[in-house]
Amino acid sequence: MAGVRVSTLTKAYGPLTVLQDISIEVAEGEFTVLLGPSGCGKSTLLNAIAGLDEVDGGTIEIAGQDVTDLEPAQRGIAMVFQSYALYPTMTVRGNLSFGLKVKGSPRAEIESRVAWAADLLQITPLLDRKPGQMSGGQRQRVAIGRALVQKAKLFLFDEPLSNLDAKLRTEMRVEIKKLHKELGLTIVYVTHDQIEAMTLATRIAVMKGGRIEQYAAPDELYERPETLFVAGFVGAPAMNFLPGMYRGGAIEIDGVRIPAGALELRGPVADGTKVVLGVRPEHIGLVADGALGESVAAEAQFMEPMGADTLGWFTMGSHRVSVRLAPQRARGVTGNVDLALDLSLASLFNATTERRL
Amino acid sequence: MRRKGWRLSARRVGLYAFLLISAAFFLLPLYVMLVTSFKDMSEVRLGDLLSLPAAPSVGAWVKAWTTACTGLTCNGIQVGFWNSMRILVPSVVVSIAVGSVTGYAMSLWRPRGATLLFGIVMSVAFVPYQVFLYPLVRLFSFAGLNSSLPGIITVHTIFGLPTMTLIFRNYFASVPIELFKAARVDGAGFWRIFTSVMLPMAVPIITVAVILQVTGIWNDFIFGLVFAGRENFPMTVQLNNIVNSTQGEREYNVDMAATMLTALVPLAVYFISGRWFVRGIAAGAVKG
Repeated sequence: MAGVRVSTLTKAYGPLTVLQDISIEVAEGEFTVLLGPSGCGKSTLLNAIAGLDEVDGGTIEIAGQDVTDLEPAQRGIAMVFQSYALYPTMTVRGNLSFGLKVKGSPRAEIESRVAWAADLLQITPLLDRKPGQMSGGQRQRVAIGRALVQKAKLFLFDEPLSNLDAKLRTEMRVEIKKLHKELGLTIVYVTHDQIEAMTLATRIAVMKGGRIEQYAAPDELYERPETLFVAGFVGAPAMNFLPGMYRGGAIEIDGVRIPAGALELRGPVADGTKVVLGVRPEHIGLVADGALGESVAAEAQFMEPMGADTLGWFTMGSHRVSVRLAPQRARGVTGNVDLALDLSLASLFNATTERRL
Repeated sequence: MRRKGWRLSARRVGLYAFLLISAAFFLLPLYVMLVTSFKDMSEVRLGDLLSLPAAPSVGAWVKAWTTACTGLTCNGIQVGFWNSMRILVPSVVVSIAVGSVTGYAMSLWRPRGATLLFGIVMSVAFVPYQVFLYPLVRLFSFAGLNSSLPGIITVHTIFGLPTMTLIFRNYFASVPIELFKAARVDGAGFWRIFTSVMLPMAVPIITVAVILQVTGIWNDFIFGLVFAGRENFPMTVQLNNIVNSTQGEREYNVDMAATMLTALVPLAVYFISGRWFVRGIAAGAVKG
């Protein structure tokens, strides 16, 4: 049974279309992340699923029930917000039990659920405090607890970690992943942080301009991006893009022919097609180190140490490429070198349609 | 470094001189009123405004409260005090209750041109009241509300609404929209969100509203004179009647005491609510 099924959903604010014909399915127990830059429609989609925003067309089903015209409270959902949105005048206990009280649950039931959620999130000592007396991380736990007590069919997270500092964010990320795994929750999670998306999701939907560009597992998304946008958006440091022309089984970039035999292509590519070759920094190496792939002449520009590895910047003709190097190795690299492009792991896009070839 | 701030420069002397003179300017009339109200008439007649009372007595205060004459009746200003209270309490409660709900509704309702509409609503708050007097009197006569307690309460509620709606709308508009969304997901409706989430957060602004309405309604003269009717004249109107009714000698000490009594309520409101006001603002942050 599907956790969520969204079919041909559209929404516009006046002349501005924010969701264009969105169809997406989230299986029960799945952790789907909606990823994209600001203004791509990911939060609007989440609000539409929650029932907080009305839609212009299409349907939304949650656990097999058509909820398109239902109020948020009737949809069997729970939601965690970016600003936590805790009721400031209520204690933690009040915050956790408010929804159940509104729904008229029996008192014993409310108490046991609050105790269960508080124990799970280790916020039992905070139960009688008010949100103003807690740190950001504690508030976020309470916000998650408020969602958990609902025992909802679907949990919606709207950039829940954006307001936390880097260390806490990593901690809470692990926490959320653990909750998903242990409780078997169905989750739709919005973020613009690709690390969060990659680490948490079972599937990621990358959105741009109100459309879903690609909906796939994190590995698939990283290794075989469907569009130029996905390729550029996912991965840090970003993928190198080398525009050129496909001719006779090779890619001509600035007059240099790179044999494309190793590339995994979906079908034959016509000669004279304008293409963009996408190679991730870790799939380029130094020929001198015995790296495999097509050899190309380049000139070292500068090195950016990032700790675990160093990002080396080179110029190849008129293009700049980044290469992930071991820090010790990177220190000695200067002048003209030969780079090896591992095309078996590279992506080729049509420059006009921006789609994978 | 710190010592610099304490040096008695010419600038600082000037500043303090200005502050002292300003304080004296505003305190002097108050001082005169106070000392006069504690003198008896024989001492007042001497005309020495600034001297302290030789034999301080509360006789003038008692007389002002219980037996001063307003026209033909001589029951003191206490009649006006209780009238004012009967007008004040319902007017404040009703205007704040209605204003907070309309402000809450308007903070959520943001159609195209809402700002313009809101501006127009607000501009009503600045139209001189005199403009409305005659039409309202006719309207109230027609409705049978003229010269009655419900009539004057209605008037105060209506004229309080633009300001009350404005301050509550602005306050609720500053509440993060996510809080409202969270409550909706929790299943609360319009009224439940208002009573359980929004209103408890609004204590600081309710305090402001109470200050504005209590002082405004207590100090009102013209509405009370026109709409309350002879039986319900508020304290301000009664005070005017006491001061202006001349039967024989003008009793300045009683007039002063009556004036002080009339001013006590707004004064008390400022002193009591001022603390609450600060406390309310300091508490209740939503996110950090």
